[in-house]
Amino acid sequence: MTVLQNDRRVLDRLSLNTPLAVAALTSFIRDAVETSGTSGVVVGLSGGIDSSLAAALAVRALGPERVHGFLLPYRTSSGESVSDALLIAEHLGLPHRKIDISPMVDAYFAIETDADAGRRGNKMARERMTILFDQAKKLGALVLGTSNKTEILLGYSTVFGDNASSLNPLGDLYKHQVWQLARHLGLPEQVVAKRPSADLFPGQTDEGDFGFDYATADEVLWLLFDEGLTPDEVIERGYDEAVVRRIVQFERQFRFKRRLMLIARLSGSAVNLDQEIPRD
Amino acid sequence: MSEPAGSPRLTVGLAQIDCRLGDLDANLERHLAWIERAKAQGVDLLVFPELSLTGYRLLHLTTRVALTPGSPVLERLAEAARPMTVVAGFVEESDRGVLHNSAVLLSGGAARHIHRKLYLPSYGIFQENRFFRPGQRIDLATLPWGRTGVLICEDLWHPELARRLAVAGARLLIVPSAGPGRIGGGDVPASHESWEMLCRTTALLDTCWVVYCNRVGWEEGSFYSGGSLVVRPGGELEARAPFLEEHLLVTEIDLRDADRVRWRLPLLADERTDILGPSA
Repeated sequence: MTVLQNDRRVLDRLSLNTPLAVAALTSFIRDAVETSGTSGVVVGLSGGIDSSLAAALAVRALGPERVHGFLLPYRTSSGESVSDALLIAEHLGLPHRKIDISPMVDAYFAIETDADAGRRGNKMARERMTILFDQAKKLGALVLGTSNKTEILLGYSTVFGDNASSLNPLGDLYKHQVWQLARHLGLPEQVVAKRPSADLFPGQTDEGDFGFDYATADEVLWLLFDEGLTPDEVIERGYDEAVVRRIVQFERQFRFKRRLMLIARLSGSAVNLDQEIPRD
Repeated sequence: MSEPAGSPRLTVGLAQIDCRLGDLDANLERHLAWIERAKAQGVDLLVFPELSLTGYRLLHLTTRVALTPGSPVLERLAEAARPMTVVAGFVEESDRGVLHNSAVLLSGGAARHIHRKLYLPSYGIFQENRFFRPGQRIDLATLPWGRTGVLICEDLWHPELARRLAVAGARLLIVPSAGPGRIGGGDVPASHESWEMLCRTTALLDTCWVVYCNRVGWEEGSFYSGGSLVVRPGGELEARAPFLEEHLLVTEIDLRDADRVRWRLPLLADERTDILGPSA
């Protein structure tokens, strides 16, 4: 069976009208900041495409002085992550600060010496989250989320870590669309073109963790969740069966990460199911 | 019903506003400000979007912002509207304590006409059936310039309603909306493509003016795309407001244009209700 990777027919249908999408997403950020009465946003800059795009959208929405960038490296983080994050901060002209998370993380693992790479990576992601929320409190700002639709659907995140935010402009953008908007906004090519990585351990890449590439993930997820095809119908279109099954399994296994408050309802006026009070 | 004696020419204003969700006081103030703006531009008939006094995605806030038709909020609005005619959206509590998604037409300091939304979308992201009950009838409203009908958002997607109003003599259809926006690859928001097609088709087949007032702004991460429309009898686009931003769209219209089109294109006069065959 032929595998139709990078099927242009699917990726073309995913492509956005970039000026309209940027106009909508910047108005989203402006609206959230204005209605919450806060001064701006804080964003963790990893040197990767997602946080770079989120920061660039925020700068368009609010102006650079109201977007506070934080570089939060661990001692094993790649030098490239830090230098690319700096490049983005300078490219966007936003105030930025580097806080090394190694002392906090290492203090914990000094008493939890058996932790594997997964636990260590989660701890780093959550350490960054606590710093971002603390800095947001200090600055009277909101925490800008940077998770995209592909990784949210695949569950490729740390609960209450990198998936925690006050607002997320990227959460309904597939990775292909993230790349498209980043190029449209003129972000430096060395950031746009590099292979995505959570950089929780040396040599890590997202696509290595998945066992498939982003183009395939975007196409399969779009066919499953936007178009409503069954997994078998996706496979019939020529996608590798093992990859499709793996994507389906990831989504099922990690969907709990998308519903963060599971409250036992006793009263008939539970704060979630019976009191769905929307935020403006 | 006799035809009103006034001139058939009027200036329509579409108040493409954002709303504060669940905040009656803030929205009333916004209405009063836009009424003054419209008066300054010579507007005769000013239309606000669906649920303009409350915001759209109310969920369990619905009961907290319900108004009876005689409430002080609507009295104040009716008084401020003079000498204009104003259409505004609100949560109506009927004298039987039932909640409706309603639009009120205010003229001469009082409520002249109330339309209760007949089709409550309850699919996809819509949940109106959980919180509202549908209206049971449609009526014409007689304005100084001619007969008109009000249909709220989803009502227009059931074309027999617009047809009935037009056959009964409406030369103007007023369509307050809160249509969630979607952006894809097209030149305009994907959600707007459908709306423009629908408004133009309605104006073509029912040979009447269609004024569609959509809102803008964000609620719980979903936006309204604006792009409010004035469409001529016969389907030609007369005016369109910009997307994604507040705007007062002011257009002079002549209701006699509907008659002139109907003489050339007598679709309504030819309408038959006596054709035998399958029924719904």
